[in-house]
Amino acid sequence: MRYGKALITVIILAVISPVFGVILADAVGYHEPLDVAAETLGLKEKDIEWGSPLPDYTVPGLDPVTGYIVSGIIGAAVVFGIAYLLSKVSKKE
Amino acid sequence: MHIPDGYLDPAWVAATYAAVIGYFGVMAKKFRPVVTPEAAVLAAGIFVAQMLNWPLPGGTSLHLVGGALAAAILGPWSGSVVMGLVVTIQCLLFHDGGITALGANLLNMAVIDVLVGYAVFKTIRSRVGGVRGLFLGGLLGGWTGIVAAGVACGIEIGLSPQWPFGVAVTVPIMGGWHAILGIVEGIITGSVLAYLGAKAPEVIKG
Repeated sequence: MRYGKALITVIILAVISPVFGVILADAVGYHEPLDVAAETLGLKEKDIEWGSPLPDYTVPGLDPVTGYIVSGIIGAAVVFGIAYLLSKVSKKE
Repeated sequence: MHIPDGYLDPAWVAATYAAVIGYFGVMAKKFRPVVTPEAAVLAAGIFVAQMLNWPLPGGTSLHLVGGALAAAILGPWSGSVVMGLVVTIQCLLFHDGGITALGANLLNMAVIDVLVGYAVFKTIRSRVGGVRGLFLGGLLGGWTGIVAAGVACGIEIGLSPQWPFGVAVTVPIMGGWHAILGIVEGIITGSVLAYLGAKAPEVIKG
């Protein structure tokens, strides 16, 4: 396939992603500017459950590192799949 | 930059949803969802790249957002479609960003980041040619897009009748931090564009 190389890169990124997304994030205490801004205003997160199947990139029953990799691959596949279908539809029209 | 549930005033929830539905509705009618197989690959790549959080000393972290990159490669409208897809899947499947904040998150990352990043990229690109122009355009487009999206995010969470002076706090925090984090966004955007420009220039359609 023409984009094989790019897709392999995506899979490699997904496999190494827990190093950054889980392990190092835990080590430093993941915190983004939005959290800082919200804290100064005293904003509170209100968790509304809408049944997201893989909350926070975890897979029920899997450890966080494996779950993050599986989440990455599932997410990338879903995003790719929908966009690919859209490309087929746009071509037909 | 993903706003969770509970941060936004109901008026902002309504206004941001309306703005995003309006934008995507009008654009889709005009241009249809112009998505190519390349766009699908890029969408998957941006989704995974957003999972690579780089923790920074001092207790913050950053990841690529990718709006300017998508717009530079695909053009602004396809860039919006790709970013919109990524942000929506993050919300629905992974609870990343609130469902009431989805309108705002789409507005910031799939509209503002994309359009501002693209405008700056195009301006630089028309003045500086070759791979150098791609790098510079990506660098400045990526930086400006992220800062604009960060400021918009600060306005949305800070401007509400419940906390009248919130913006005075949130906009400098969001703008200031993203002015720093945006350097990395710019370097990645510029480097990817320069690499593509050297190896496969036909891929860059923006």
